[in-house]
Amino acid sequence: MSSQTRSPNAELGLLDATMIGMGAMIGAGIFVLTGLAAQIAGPAAIVVFALNGVVTAFTGLSYAELAASIPKSGGGYAFVREIFDDLSSFIMGWMLWFAYMIAGALYALGFAPNFLELLHVYGVVAPPDQVGALAVPVVDAAVPVAFLLAFVAVLALVALNAVSTAASGSAETVFTIVKVSILVVFVAFGLTSPMFSGAEFQPLFSEAGGAAAVLPAMGLTFIAFEGYDLITTVTEEVQNPRENIPKAIFISLAATVVVYLAVVTVAIGTLGAEGLADAGEAGIAAAATSFMPTGLPVIRNGGALIVFGAVFSTLTALNAVVIASSRVAFSMGREEQLLPSFGQLHHRYGTPFVAILASAVVMLGSVALPTQSAGNMSSLFFLLSFVIVNVAVIRLRRERPDMNRPYEMPLYPVPPLVGIGLNLVLTVVLVEYLIRTDPLALGLSVGWILLGGVAYLLLDRAGNRPEPGPSTGSEMTPGGED
Amino acid sequence: MPSDLDVIIAGGGRVGFQTATILADRGHDVTIVERDERVVDGIADEWVATVIEGDATDPGIVEQAGIERADVVAALTGESGLNLAVCLAAAELNPEIRTVARIDSASDEAYTRFVDAVLFPERAGARLAANQIIGSDVQTLADTTGDLDIMLVRVAEGAPAAGKQLTEVRFPAGTLVISDEEGNSISRPDTELAAGSRYLVAVEPDVVDEVMNLLQG
Repeated sequence: MSSQTRSPNAELGLLDATMIGMGAMIGAGIFVLTGLAAQIAGPAAIVVFALNGVVTAFTGLSYAELAASIPKSGGGYAFVREIFDDLSSFIMGWMLWFAYMIAGALYALGFAPNFLELLHVYGVVAPPDQVGALAVPVVDAAVPVAFLLAFVAVLALVALNAVSTAASGSAETVFTIVKVSILVVFVAFGLTSPMFSGAEFQPLFSEAGGAAAVLPAMGLTFIAFEGYDLITTVTEEVQNPRENIPKAIFISLAATVVVYLAVVTVAIGTLGAEGLADAGEAGIAAAATSFMPTGLPVIRNGGALIVFGAVFSTLTALNAVVIASSRVAFSMGREEQLLPSFGQLHHRYGTPFVAILASAVVMLGSVALPTQSAGNMSSLFFLLSFVIVNVAVIRLRRERPDMNRPYEMPLYPVPPLVGIGLNLVLTVVLVEYLIRTDPLALGLSVGWILLGGVAYLLLDRAGNRPEPGPSTGSEMTPGGED
Repeated sequence: MPSDLDVIIAGGGRVGFQTATILADRGHDVTIVERDERVVDGIADEWVATVIEGDATDPGIVEQAGIERADVVAALTGESGLNLAVCLAAAELNPEIRTVARIDSASDEAYTRFVDAVLFPERAGARLAANQIIGSDVQTLADTTGDLDIMLVRVAEGAPAAGKQLTEVRFPAGTLVISDEEGNSISRPDTELAAGSRYLVAVEPDVVDEVMNLLQG
């Protein structure tokens, strides 16, 4: 009989699960956002990454508790769907979907300058800042090369994922080891380089913004810590999930923070906050080219290794969020919160084709945004969805006190309350910062929420959720609370 | 037709747990209500369903299991009376819900006045026992399968694979569509998966969810 067959391939150990989480966090974020953070906060970018690690840790506790007690491989949306009524869970899914899509645009935008830097290291093209726009002869308009590259990268990965089912988790482990090794090389050379011995971290806070500039920089770089959501999507394949999932979340988060701090410290110590800021999305790559040895065989230039790491990281991260965003849309389709076609596999390709295509449209459109706007918007939506995840933990404890919780967070209800508070503070700071500096990003964010409201009403009216029993009484308030 | 059912199973013992496992493999949402703490721990280790620890006849506990949103409640404990009580209470709390009760005698009719369906595991068990006693020449489906599921699946209107020929559909590895539309010959590459028709399909447990998605949407 079919006993114990649900997870015949429960073969991911604690190490693999940890690597999946680290792989998602260590990657594009550190390469792309360090320069931008330095631009806002100066040398205090180090503080920015440290504090963000702390803020995320509180939500990490909530994720650990939910992942251990709700056996669903769907990440944040699946948990919230289990607990909240139709509208709240729809909003959660809608926001998370957007966060992932914009993250995709962000990684594509980070890929482009790093790829140009790589070509430059090999002498194929001029330094990135001199690669201008590609003149399009017919329409008499110039398309920036970086934009074109980002667009092509998204298109290629979307096409790949649309027609073939994704690579397995074991590839992810290899990717992560490659990325971490490259960063370790970076840190090792940086610490021993003569540039670092004269490192100057004073004044820690930039003159323009002062200590307050740390907060908007935290908002911008928050997305770098979003990755452990991905661990909860493979729980089914993890051995002894109720112990290993919480552990994997905490270990990967701690390890990521350590790596980030080392990398940012070295980058600022060598290139200086201003130099980093000037290099923008290619900050780490520029720092590496400045102190890595040159004249090596094959790779010619030690910096090329790091630049390759940046290109590799942004591409793998882009691939991961293409999958992640389409999976959220797919789950929403399964739950009949989007058109049912989103929740269907394509008969020929066996992939969630419609969900991938829809995600691709938004990603391709977002590639036209400035990198910083993409980072800000993605962070904003992750912050909001993390607030909901923390609320979900509290609500689940109150409404279902007798639910079996293999992992219970310590000091409940302090961690989720602190998590909600800190995430909201960052949200407010970020929104305030956007009002001042980037109204376009804010407008688009609000527009997406409004679009969601319209979509929800239309689907509701079209009777997309027509089943007699389950969802008509959408208000689920068993405990008599609200 | 809801593709994913929200199912509450009262009783996480052998019958309840196996049922939950099969349903979860097919992509349905399962919540188990179980009284015994040790059984609860065992289920948690397998990570197939959310578990509410408590007595399924307690309305507070059933509400924690999300009775308002559930499509089906299956009372699968070893006590018929208890199972009946759970189903009646559930139908009271959510009139739309489908109720399934496990009974301990063959007297189906007595119960079907109160619940939508009954099951009598001993009868299925007896069939399997007969299979084993006779040997391997003739077996009912339930026992030929080992880990495989061999199922009759009706192709739903509007499902991704509906109206397509077998060659056009990429089923995941571990799937075999056995019969053609009428069920009287073996499927061929050009066999069409007609909506509304039933096909005999053999599937490995890991991919049941995907196959169901393709055939049922």
